[in-house]
Amino acid sequence: MADILHVGIDLGTSRSAISASNGERFVVDSFVGWPLDMVARKVLKRDVLIGHEAVSNRTMLDLHRPLERGLLKEGSEKDVEAVRELLKHLLRLVGVNGKTDAQSVRAVVGVPAAALRTNKQYLRNSMKGIVDSLLIVSEPFAVAYGLDALLHTMIIDIGAGTTDFCVMKGRYPTEEDQRTLTVAGDSIDTQLLKLIEERYPNANVTVFMVRDWKEKHSFVGNPKSPIVVTAPVKGVPTSIDITSEMRTACETILPPVVETMIDLLARVEPEFQERVRTNIILSGGGGLIRGLSDALEAALKGVGGGKVRSMEDPVFIGSDGGLALAIDAPEGDWEKLTA
Amino acid sequence: MRAASVQRVKRRVLREAVAENLDVIRGAPPRAVRTGNRLARIWLRRAPYLLLPLALGAYLSRGGDAEIGGAAAASAAVLGRTDLERPRAAAAPLEITTTSIERVTSAAFPLAVRRVVLDAGHGGSDPGATAANVAEKAITLDINHRLRSLLQRDGFEVVSTRADDRTIALRDRARLANDSGSDIFVSIHVNAITKHTASRGIETYYLGPTSDPKLTQLAAAENSVSGYSLGDMRKLLDGVYADARRDESHELASTVQQQLFTTLRASDSGLENWGVKRAPFIVLVATDMPAVLAEVGCLSNAQEAAMLARPEYRQKIADALFHGIRAYASANDGPKKKGIANHG
Repeated sequence: MADILHVGIDLGTSRSAISASNGERFVVDSFVGWPLDMVARKVLKRDVLIGHEAVSNRTMLDLHRPLERGLLKEGSEKDVEAVRELLKHLLRLVGVNGKTDAQSVRAVVGVPAAALRTNKQYLRNSMKGIVDSLLIVSEPFAVAYGLDALLHTMIIDIGAGTTDFCVMKGRYPTEEDQRTLTVAGDSIDTQLLKLIEERYPNANVTVFMVRDWKEKHSFVGNPKSPIVVTAPVKGVPTSIDITSEMRTACETILPPVVETMIDLLARVEPEFQERVRTNIILSGGGGLIRGLSDALEAALKGVGGGKVRSMEDPVFIGSDGGLALAIDAPEGDWEKLTA
Repeated sequence: MRAASVQRVKRRVLREAVAENLDVIRGAPPRAVRTGNRLARIWLRRAPYLLLPLALGAYLSRGGDAEIGGAAAASAAVLGRTDLERPRAAAAPLEITTTSIERVTSAAFPLAVRRVVLDAGHGGSDPGATAANVAEKAITLDINHRLRSLLQRDGFEVVSTRADDRTIALRDRARLANDSGSDIFVSIHVNAITKHTASRGIETYYLGPTSDPKLTQLAAAENSVSGYSLGDMRKLLDGVYADARRDESHELASTVQQQLFTTLRASDSGLENWGVKRAPFIVLVATDMPAVLAEVGCLSNAQEAAMLARPEYRQKIADALFHGIRAYASANDGPKKKGIANHG
């Protein structure tokens, strides 16, 4: 029986992951929904639905995606409530108030690199009563910590709402070491939906379908094989080829990502630039876009060449890093970080 | 890295992460924008102007024949290099009586405006407002070039945050301005008010809080590429708003707005004077010197969009901005007569 449970949480716009010191790990879609009316409540038999369940039953729900661009939307009580429900759900999944007897929960939560203090303060306030102690860190930093990649490394964490960059220089990253772009998975979805609607005006396609297709087939550069998906056209399930739309949509993130990567590299002290260039790590769901690391390496050729590694299982990298931080933080520090 | 050094680095970054969190809990603003730091930098920069008169005052009070010695002289000598970079006005001894450093403005020192930062809004992948065949980024860059020539011809040193069509983050613009040791910062933008395409006008902003939702929206749009939210800034800026340069920025904004409106009204009788306003644009927040953001036109209005596409109209805008800057510089050239401390 543990008196203290350490958790690392990657609170994402699209998905949130939790890794706990009791060995449990879970990932959920960052959606929270409340039944729209009495009928929906009766059908769903629940006051609140979270994650995939919420998405699946969205027609009966007041559905919220509480994190916009990786941050808690300020000013919306419903979104604050949604993020609290999401966090409680994540903690329930790893056994808090359930099968373990954890008395005290110490959480490390990753937020976008460019989150400012007020974002963090707002998140801290929202987590009151849910965890006992809280350490908020930049998400790419949590990734770097988990991988022991703390020196001469660049992390590019492509999530749904944001793409976070962080150059690790053996210190806690400052504002100068980090960048956040709002060009990320969601912007690819928007672009892909638009392109498909343009090419197949009669097809009935939603952003949820597009997101599924992207997660299965995203790529930049040359396609491995044609991407053919099924969508209702005038009510009839029809196969449509979306190969070129997928490529165009995925490649929209390349120019800003390349520009930011090179800009950050240029700010590294000259003698360390080569080491950072050969130590670039792609994480987040966007890191799974096929051909992306090759495309970034091709762009690096212009500045002396480099190496970009994609993490094969990026889902828990952030939360595992958070957990490592939570376990390593000294007892005395946790006492000061009461939520 | 060896295992031992990895552990050492881990301990260090963890300690720093905890320290940052404790700052957040205490509500302290980031170190980079803490008013204390900013004021310390301002004081350091202005130290020569303070120390030199004090040293000379001490010299004169000792009958003029004693050598300047001690710490004050040493400081003046060391800092003299900085002093040479800026024009030095008559070194009359100043009586510094202020009790709060936040009240001291450049009025207390014989500062002149010599180096100007021009910031052509947007650029590269960020076109800003657009109309048929015209993008804000191109207009602002063109005005930047024209204004630069005018200022240089008049003896000003000019630093531009961008000289071509490239993306430059807002924080980098501010950093460049701060590193350049410039005296004032002028950001050039063009408005677009899509809901009121019939209106067109001129407005100039300086740093300050606003309760106007439209201005909040505008600042949010201009700040969007920075990654900061307006909510972040509201709390962050409580201290910064009390900054000494606010009055100076207001003065600069007023002269610029007046020149812009009177000059451009002559070309377009329908042009409205939307006045001098306060808003928390990032480039105004993060710069250390008096800073303004001029919305020199309105691309959402078809008539004005057509005028902005014409080089001669853009030259008029550059002329107006030049005269505004010139008027501010003249008013601030030499020791201020009104005294030592500004009770703003």
